Amino acid sequence: MLDALRRAARNAYHLLLIGYAAALGAGLGLGSALWVLEGDYPFGERRAQAWLAWPSVGSPQSDPYARAILARSADVPLALGEGIAFHAYEDELGRPLDARCRYAISGETPVARAWTLTLYDPDGRLIETPQRRPGLTSAEVLRAEDGAVTIALAPDPQPGNWIQLPGSGGFQAVLRLYDSPVSGALGWLDDGAMPRIVRLSCTGEATS
Amino acid sequence: MRPRSRAILDSLGRNVGKLALATTIAIVLAAMTHIAAILMLPWLARQDAYARLAPTASAENAVLVAAPRAGGFGEVDAPLPETWLPLHDPALAVGACAYDLADGPLRVSAPDGALFQTISLHARGAGAYYAITDRAAVRGRLELVVATRDQLDAILAEEAAAQVETGPADAFGDLRVVAPTREGFVLVRTLAAFPSEAPLAEALVEAVSCTIEPL
Repeated sequence: MLDALRRAARNAYHLLLIGYAAALGAGLGLGSALWVLEGDYPFGERRAQAWLAWPSVGSPQSDPYARAILARSADVPLALGEGIAFHAYEDELGRPLDARCRYAISGETPVARAWTLTLYDPDGRLIETPQRRPGLTSAEVLRAEDGAVTIALAPDPQPGNWIQLPGSGGFQAVLRLYDSPVSGALGWLDDGAMPRIVRLSCTGEATS
Repeated sequence: MRPRSRAILDSLGRNVGKLALATTIAIVLAAMTHIAAILMLPWLARQDAYARLAPTASAENAVLVAAPRAGGFGEVDAPLPETWLPLHDPALAVGACAYDLADGPLRVSAPDGALFQTISLHARGAGAYYAITDRAAVRGRLELVVATRDQLDAILAEEAAAQVETGPADAFGDLRVVAPTREGFVLVRTLAAFPSEAPLAEALVEAVSCTIEPL
């Protein structure tokens, strides 16, 4: 009688263990996969100042994580021969981009047939402002006598090249170089080859 | 220690050992599930770019997916372009046509316009595998043929046979690309450097033809 009871308890314990292993395995496996897919591409990140790029994502050598992230986001990245996109989430001192502040993006841009600078909200939608211009192209931009470019990002109007910020929340900037040797991924850029993102001031604080 | 308490301790140790074994198995299972989920996702996704573009497979020309930001005089209040493409560059007109090479190779042909244009080829589940810009245009047209390895072999064999009969051909050869998988899509991007070029950029995208040419 006691033996039978003990055997039943052992069987129940084994069943419980099998269920536990299956549930934990599936949960951890799917959960970790989902967690990885929520973030940026995990491999092949290249950095130049505050700008991040993933050159291999648009190539036949893209890794399975990049492919899975693309399948989830429905994004179609620039292919290797088309160009390359640089993403900035922070200014040059590592502070997150804030739409209440004034920024100057200035310096040289790498060789390309054309480039565009576009601002998005943190969810990836184009920023909505009264100016109705979420970005600039290399053809539209005004240049200084020496060819340098300075683009002001601010909620209030600025002289020269100006993209209006919505005045609240965060934002991200994407610099796309079209038909650029950079996208060939032979070597990489010096920090000086990319424009700097400098925070000038924020509302509610003295000029920093 | 009395034999009875020793027996209880032994049984406890056995059961904790089994729990540790089950946890180890769970971690191995988790790793396998993780890898399987990542590898399967591009083939199971119903909302990825290929799935969304699949209805364009029957179209003769590229279908506009995302419009550039329009503007210029009198259009100050033009709304921002809306599209399912994430992080769309509002200076681009983006068009696409999906293909299935089951019935023969695909010929992509684009008129050479005045604007910067790129054509990229994307395989289902495997990402971009080829791209050219308008600089590759020959005699005013940008042409390429997308074929599977077998179809390309058939084309080459046919050409070789024709050359034996008539001598070397002097025509320009097509630009040929081998597709890694049968299904995929062609993506066309045209740059409107100024908002006033938006209508031209859209027209150039829609002028790109994608036709299956049965062997």
